[in-house]
Formats: sequence, C-alpha cells, structure tokens
Amino acid sequence: MTVSTSSWLREQARPVRRLLAAGVVAGGLQAVLVCIGAWLVAHVLARAVLAGAGLAGLWPCVAALVPLALARFALLLWQRRTTFDAGARVGDDVRGALERRMRQLGPRWAAQQSSGDIVTRCVDGVQALVPYYAGYLPQVALTAVVPLLILLAVWPADPWSALVLVLTAPLVPLFMVLVGGAAERASQRRWSRLRRMGARFMDALSGLTTLRLCRATAREEALLAASGEAYRRETMAVLRIAFLSALVLEFFATVSIAVLAVLIGFRLMWGTLGFEPGLFVLLLAPELFLPLRALGSQRHRRMEAAAAAEDLVALLAVAEGTTPGEEPAAPEPFEARRIALAFERVRFGYEPGRIVLHDLDLEVAAGTLVTLVGGSGSGKSTLFNLLMGFASPQGGRIRVNGRDLAALEPGSWRRHLSWVSQRAHVFHGSLRDNLLIAAPNADDAGLQRALQAASLQAVVARLPQGLDTPLGEHGHGLSGGERQRLALARAWLRDAPLLLLDEPVQHLDAATAATIDAAIDALAQGRTVIRIAHRLDRLADDARVAVLAEGRIVEQGLVGELRASRGAFARLLAADRAA
Amino acid sequence: MSRQPAPADGSIASLRRLSGLMRQQRGWMALGVALAVLSSLSGIGLLAVAGYFITRMALVGAGGAAIDYYTPSALIRLFAILRTGGRYAERLVTHEATLRMLARLRTWLFARLVPLAPAALGELRSAELFSRLRADVDALEHAYLGVLVPLLVAIVVVAVVVLASLLYLPWLALPLALLFLVGGGLLPGWALRQARAPGAAVVACNETLRALAVDGLRGRAELALYGAEDAHAARVAAVLARQRRARRRLDRLQALGGAGVMLAAQLAAVCTLLLGLAALRSGRLAGPELVMLALLVPAAFEAVAPLPEAWTQLAATLVSARRVFALADTPVPVPEPGRPSPSIGRHDLSLRGLRLRYGARGPWALDGVDLELPQGRRIALVGASGAGKSSLIGALTRLYPSEGSARLGGTPLEAWHGDDLRAQIAVVEQRPYLFDASLRDNLRLARPDASAAQLGEAIGQAQLSDYVAGLPQGLHSWVGEDGIRVSGGEARRIAIARALLADPPILLLDEPTEGLDAGTAAQLYAALDAAMRGRSVLLITHRLGGLAGLVDEVATMQHGRIVECVPVATYLARRQPQEPPDAPSCGSRDARSAAAPERQQQERP
Repeated sequence: MTVSTSSWLREQARPVRRLLAAGVVAGGLQAVLVCIGAWLVAHVLARAVLAGAGLAGLWPCVAALVPLALARFALLLWQRRTTFDAGARVGDDVRGALERRMRQLGPRWAAQQSSGDIVTRCVDGVQALVPYYAGYLPQVALTAVVPLLILLAVWPADPWSALVLVLTAPLVPLFMVLVGGAAERASQRRWSRLRRMGARFMDALSGLTTLRLCRATAREEALLAASGEAYRRETMAVLRIAFLSALVLEFFATVSIAVLAVLIGFRLMWGTLGFEPGLFVLLLAPELFLPLRALGSQRHRRMEAAAAAEDLVALLAVAEGTTPGEEPAAPEPFEARRIALAFERVRFGYEPGRIVLHDLDLEVAAGTLVTLVGGSGSGKSTLFNLLMGFASPQGGRIRVNGRDLAALEPGSWRRHLSWVSQRAHVFHGSLRDNLLIAAPNADDAGLQRALQAASLQAVVARLPQGLDTPLGEHGHGLSGGERQRLALARAWLRDAPLLLLDEPVQHLDAATAATIDAAIDALAQGRTVIRIAHRLDRLADDARVAVLAEGRIVEQGLVGELRASRGAFARLLAADRAA
Repeated sequence: MSRQPAPADGSIASLRRLSGLMRQQRGWMALGVALAVLSSLSGIGLLAVAGYFITRMALVGAGGAAIDYYTPSALIRLFAILRTGGRYAERLVTHEATLRMLARLRTWLFARLVPLAPAALGELRSAELFSRLRADVDALEHAYLGVLVPLLVAIVVVAVVVLASLLYLPWLALPLALLFLVGGGLLPGWALRQARAPGAAVVACNETLRALAVDGLRGRAELALYGAEDAHAARVAAVLARQRRARRRLDRLQALGGAGVMLAAQLAAVCTLLLGLAALRSGRLAGPELVMLALLVPAAFEAVAPLPEAWTQLAATLVSARRVFALADTPVPVPEPGRPSPSIGRHDLSLRGLRLRYGARGPWALDGVDLELPQGRRIALVGASGAGKSSLIGALTRLYPSEGSARLGGTPLEAWHGDDLRAQIAVVEQRPYLFDASLRDNLRLARPDASAAQLGEAIGQAQLSDYVAGLPQGLHSWVGEDGIRVSGGEARRIAIARALLADPPILLLDEPTEGLDAGTAAQLYAALDAAMRGRSVLLITHRLGGLAGLVDEVATMQHGRIVECVPVATYLARRQPQEPPDAPSCGSRDARSAAAPERQQQERP
C-alpha cells in the first residue's frame, strides 16, 4: 500500500468518525458486561462449591445473567448498525465523488476508457472499501480497547495473572508483526496468485472459440491442469508461512490460558489465592484474545480495500488532458432561433506536442449545410467536440452569430444543439426514457412524431411493452441501424437550430440506408447543419464540402466541381474507392 | 454427450454431484475435517479441564484430601499443544484439499464447456453472465472450506458436548440441545429466509449500478449535451439509497445470527448453573464437575458461531452449483462422429442446400446454400450484413450444427472430428481473441511446435515484422488485459499469422478489412495475398473494394442464399455501368465498389 493510498483511506474515515467511535464504545461496553458476567458466574460457583450455598441464596446472581446477556445482545446489534452506517456512508461518498469526477473529466476522457474497467472500479471497487470501514477499522480500535479493559478487571482480582497476561498479550502483536511481515507478504502473494490463476481460467473460457478454431483445446486443458497443480504446490509453500502468524496468535492464546490455569491451581492449593478471583481470571482470559483473533480474520479486508483504493485514487486524481478553458467570470446566456458559425484561426491539440487543429478557418451561414470530409485523425470529431463545448480552442475563436462561444454559458448554448452520433448510446431504461433524455418535456404526440420521422415505429411494434419495454443487455437490444435512428429521433425531439451529424461507417442494407438518408434530409430542413461524411461516393453533386487535412480546411466547394479537379477531395475519393 | 446428465434441479442432486467431483480429494478432505474437530475439541477441553483442575486444587487448599495434579496438568498441556498444532495443521490440510478441488473443478468445467462453444454458450458473451459464472465457480471452490468444514465440526462438537452433559448432568442435555438447535439452525434458517428478498434487491441494484456506470461513461457526451448530468447523478444516488436499505436489512439479519449464538451461549450457561446448583445440593454432581460444565458449555458455542455464515454460504453454493451443472449439462450442439476421420486426397469443398439457424425456432441464417469451392479456387462472398455470410464459417468449421449437405473431398463434414476438420480449414476471425499471454504464445496457439524460423516467416508474411520490432520486448511482449494495446488491424494480422502457421489447405477470411481505414487496409492486402497463396479461399466481405484483386470469383449472398457466383471480371464489369460516378447517396454498398484496381499477379498451385 503506497503512502498516498493509505492516507486517502484514512481521509475517507473522517466524516464518519462519530459513527466509528460509537461502534467502538458499544464494543467496549460489551467487554465491561462480559467482565460483570464473569464475576457473577465466578461468585456463584465459588459460593456453591466452597461455601455450600444453594440456589435459594444465589438465584439473584444467576438471574442477573439474563438481563446482562440481553444487554449484550442489544449492544451487539447496535454496534453492527453504526459501523454498517459508517461503511455505507463512505461508500456513497466515494461513489458521489467518482460521479462528480467523471463529469468533470468529460466526454472526451470517457470515450477513451474501457467501460469494463471503469464499471469495476465504480461498483466493485467502491464495494470493496465498505468492509474496511464497517469491519476492519472498528476492529483495530477494539483490539486496543478491549484487552485493556479486561486487564483492568483482572488486575485487582489477581495481579500475578494480570502480569502473565501483560507479558503474553503484547507479545502477540509483537510476534505477529515479526512473523506477520513475512506472512502478510506471503498472503498478498497468495491473493495475487489466486487471482491470476482465476483470470487465466476465465481467459481460456472467453477465448474458447479461438481455441477451438486453432485446435488448441486439448492442449489448453492439459495446461490448465498442470498450472493448477503448479499453483497448488507454490501456494501451499506460501501458506505454510502465511499461517504462521495465526499459529503465533493461537499459541499465545492457548498457552497463556494453560499457564494461568496451572499457576492459579497451585496458588489455590497453597492457599495464596481465593477461588473466586482465580475462577474469574480463568473465565476472562480467553476474552482477552478474542479481538486479536477477530482482527486476524479481517485483515484481508484491508488488503482488498487497499487494492481498490489504489485504482480509485488513480481515477480521482487523473489529470485532465488539457485545461478546460477558463470559465468566463459571468457566462452569458444564449438565445437564438438561427445560428451562423465562424471558426477563426482555431487551434487545438489534446497533448502539448500534438496539434490537431491548426489555425482552422471555416464559415457556415445560418440554415446551410456543410459536409466535412477527411482521413481518420484529420480532426473532424475534434471540431464537433469544440462546438459541443467538451473542449475549448487553445487559440483563435469560434463565433456564434458573432459572439464568442467561450463566453457563453455552456448549458444554454448546448440547448441549441442536436447531435446525431454514429452510435447513439442506449441508456439503461425504456425506449421512452431514451427519447425523453433529449427532451424531458416532450409529450406523447411529440414522441410519436419523432418515432415516425426516424422510422422507429416498427421497432416499437416489435417490443412487447412498446415504448416502455426495458432495453439493454437482458432484454431487447437495438441494432446498429436502430441506434442510429434513435439518435435521429432524439435530434427530432430537440428541434435545435444547429445539427451536428456524424454519418455511419457501418454497412447497412439498402432499405435501412435509404430510410435513414430520407430522415436526415427531412431533419436538416431549415437548420444549420455540419455533417461528417465517411463515404465520399455517396455525396450529391451540389453538396458543399470542406476537406480537412492536417488540421486545416485545405479545400472547399461543391462536390461536382471538386470531383473533376485534381485536388485533395479527388485524392480522398480515389483512396476511398480503392479500399 | 457420452453420459446422461443427472437432473440438476434438486438441491440433493447438486450436492451429490458436487461431492462426486470432490471424490478424488476425499482423503484430504476427511483429514481436514478430523483436524478441525480435534483442534476445536481441544480448545473446549482445555477450558473444561482447567476449570476442573483449579476447583480441585481450591478444595485441596480449603482442607480437602491431596490429589494427583499431574494428570490434569498434563491434560492441560496436551490440549494446549493439540489446539495450537491442530489449528495450524487443519488450515494447511483444508487449503490443500481446496486447491486440489479447485484444479479439478476447473479442468472438469473447461472440458465440459469446450464442445459447447460458441453455439451453446452464446449467452456467455454477455459480460454479466460471464462474471456470474466466475462467481459461481468461486462459490463451488469454497464450498468445502466455507460450508462443509464448519458444518461437520459443529455437528461433532455439539454431539460430544451433549453426550458429556448426559454423563454428568442428564437434565442439562435437553435445554442444551434445544439452544444449539435454535442458535445454530433455526435462527440462522429464519434469517436466511428473511434475507432472500433484500439479497435479491442488492443483486438487482448492483446490476442497475453497473448499467448506470456504463451510461455515465459511454453516454457521457449525450448527458452533457442534453444537460442531463444532474438527473443521471440523482438516478445513481437513488439506486445507491435503495441498495443501502437492502444491505442494511441484510446486515441486521447477519448481526442477528451472530448475536443469537451469543445469547444462546449465555442462556445455556444460566441453565447449567441452575440445574448444576440443584444437582450439587443433592449430591448428584461434584463441585469440580459443575465448574467444568460451566466452562465447557459456553465454550462449545464457539463451534456453533460460524454456522449462520455457513448456512448463508450453503444456500449460495447450491444456487451456484445448480447453475454450473445446468450449463455443463447443455446438450452438445455438434456431436463428434464415433469413427476416425476420413483421409482425403483433394480438398474440394462442395455445399448443397446447406441450412443453419440459431435456436430451434429462429429464422434460417443459411437457407439452402449451394457453392463449389474446388481446390485452389478463391471466392469472395459478398452481401449486406445479416445476409448469412459469417454463419457459413460456423457451419464449415462445425462449430454450429447445420442441415443439408457439405462435403470436403467427397466425404460429408459430419464424418470428420472437429479438430481434424479444422486442421484442413483455418479461419481468420474478424475479431480474433487475444489471450492474456505473450505475443509469441498467442501466435503459437495455432502451432505449438513452431520453430523461431517458422514464427519469423509467418510474422514477415503477415506484415507484422515492423510492428513486432517496434514492441518494447518484441515477441515476448505481453498481450491482453495488462499488456500492449493491439489495434483492430494488428489483431487481424496476428490472426493471419496464426493461419499461416497452421498452414491449412483451405482458408476462411471473415471481413478482413472491416472497420479499418484505407491505409491500414492497404497494408493488409499484402498479408492476405501471402496467406492465400496456394490455398482454397473463401473471403467474406460486404464490400469488395481492393479485395477484388485477390479472388477469382465473386459469390453474392442474399437472405441466406447464394444468388449468383460469377468470375470477378464479370462481376466488376456488370456493376460499373449501373452506378454512375455521381450517383446520389443511396443503394447497397456492393453496388458502389466501382473502380476496379489493377489485378495483382497471383501464383496458382
């Protein structure tokens, strides 16, 4: 565990300090009750065995054990409840911090992440933290408090026994540290080994089809068996050391009881110790070692939390690629019905050394359509990112109806935008939810119009509960073409004056392609449209294109003219046809 | 399948099958339980003897007759040693048994799943089901340590303690047995039933949280654009709150189980005192014996304490076992023939009325395919997505069951063992799986005995030399989860190198240039040309483009059938006039592969 990780783990405990303290108090109170109970039992037995007292005189003491036990029962439940709340609150706090962080890092960062990895961190990683606060931390405190309380009770009863316990009990942590250093490293190795072996097994299962095609299944099976065998031998070698720390604990706990029993026994015989305090000590001695034992069984929680924390800290501290542009002091709200755009010497790069847009100039008059073409990596998507406000120009400016985009309030500007991405994200929820996310106030009639415009009615008809059928991994998915149309329907609902359109590269059958084209044409009417085209031979002659290369617009004009010339567009077209 | 599957629905049946799988480790497992029982009893015995001993000594001190104190103090030492050493040995032996079982379980499951992939494992492609399988295997692997050992230990210890109380204080046996039953069985059983609903809620919330986390990542742009980020955060918070409520209930029930055992132990101690004091008074019980029982009884509940947790695990294990066995018992979709594979001279592939569908009632993905692929011929198979092109690969490699006739060298494909057939037919997958291993191991998958020279040659031909040279550790670089990033084009070329190493007479290529930009695709042509040399080739693509130079014929597929198969020149010549160069955007993409690039020189066998 690195220093920053452990300090981060400690940091997270700060807001729940009260809850944790309450849990420790409850644990301490239980130890006090245990001491009282032990004294009652010792008193009853001593009086009965040595003084011949009967139930008649002793029944109040025996009966008192019942409310005592009930009180312990209640305290135990209360303790669990407070520590549970502590763990749960830390989990929620961290999850909230992750959510804010991901929002801050924005869509550009999100697009580069593997979703499996992030999901694991956000869900499993956060869950691995919880037992650390709900279980491990309170136990650490109790391990310090409870043995002390018990020693305080033993001391007046029999100082010699207290001395034996003082000598053995601190030896436990000491030896556990000595042996435990090696043991912890060993057990960490064991965990990572087990994980790696599990990962290998699951890897073989994921690649089963490839294994079969390569005729490697019999070999892989033999390999799995052999590696299982090898792992067993290695792991057992590690475990022999790892279990030593438990052995030390067990040894001291057992031996101190044995020694106490013998010492007490002989002093009883010699008459230098009373039976009641002797029995009292013997009853309490095992309780002294219980918290230590419990701590041992919680240790893996700290290891798991530390591993998870490392990933989480890395995510929370990830550097933003570029400064998101200083927010203007008072962002101006934006309101317009028509939008004209002008890029003026716009410069942008994701990393310092790599400039993507290089003094780009482009004008788009209100209500017109411009098609962007260019090879992959030429900066087409970057241009969209800048327009949507997911990144800010590092030089030059983007003017919207003459105003600087950087000065506008992002929320109000984005309300003027629709974006049809190549693959619309399908959110967890129903088709209705997925449409309403673009326009929360749309009514049923509006939804129906949007569905019709994007030719999605057939999809709705297919779904068993229509618009309200949950979509997603379990149930009913949407195909690539349908997701494209979902994006169109969203754009239709938003009814925004500026439309950003990213054409699909994916191959669709003729009928689907034609429907989508028609829907796009209808949607584009009367709006300002910037379209990214991937398939150049589909462009109409009278379409206005701008060719992006090396971060600049290198050619602009009508498709028919550019096709005939021998310029950049003609070269792109030839390369596209050859591919 | 060679063996009739056992019914996997009953709990008892699942348990029996699980123990059948564990049979080989029976010795270790029994030893582990024996050691656990021994160390548990020693711990309890230690306290009991210590109580007996100090009471006798106290009676001596108070003027009683002298006693033999060697025996009890020797017993104390013996118990202390057995307890300490027994615990250590128990942990080693139980873990040995677990690890042995784990290796066995995994190889067993792997062997059962191999013939099912991919046809009968379609659902496992979903990440969620896959991680559930992972958790299920995990649960089965820990069934012994987490369930069997604590259960058996508790049963033996309870029996011994109840017997001991019968010997000294017969009336105590009844309340004691009752309290054991309540604390170790009835209360945890009740808690387990109560936990079902919140447990299901926690799992459901977890799945929603996963989905929302994906939304927050993949849908971040939409959320930001639509100003829906606050709403998204609120949704996450709402699910978290719902989950917290369910978890709190679960935690409460769990705490109740633990506290219940404690309460039962205390009540048992009270019973011991009440009955013991009466027996002491009437002389049926000696003083030292009473103290012994008073220490023995609460200590015995330590063996019962792990039971609530064990019951919970048992329930989870049974569910996992049922799921794993149901998966393992899935009927094999493509059974292997009983006889050895035929030997053939020529590798002509001939398909007549080949049909294939996914699921018994699904639509036909292949609906009567007729195709001749004589040895050495190269055919491109074109058609829109969903026309059934990739399904043909599944049928030809016998990964999916098919109907109709498919013959290789005159013998039907059904006569071939899968592995023997796939030695004749290699596939360059569209998305080849790269294993979490070195690049070298990933390549040698196709040919484990490949020499360095053979590897080098395949890498060269697959146009991977520059790529490998650029890697920090060359061929030994790690690929996969924690390894180097491999782009789509590189993965495709790795698959080509694999195919070259396998050196089959027939090669199937699935969309080798799909999703690659023009430059990367161009790099692949040379690799593909090398891979195709001297082989029969079926090249599947939705768009011929530059691939036209690599094939002899073009077969067009529509709705699961091959509608025409013509020489490539005819195909290109026919297509060109149909699409004027300045056609507006419409039509199928095959109609757009207009310009025919120069046909490359080809070597023929």
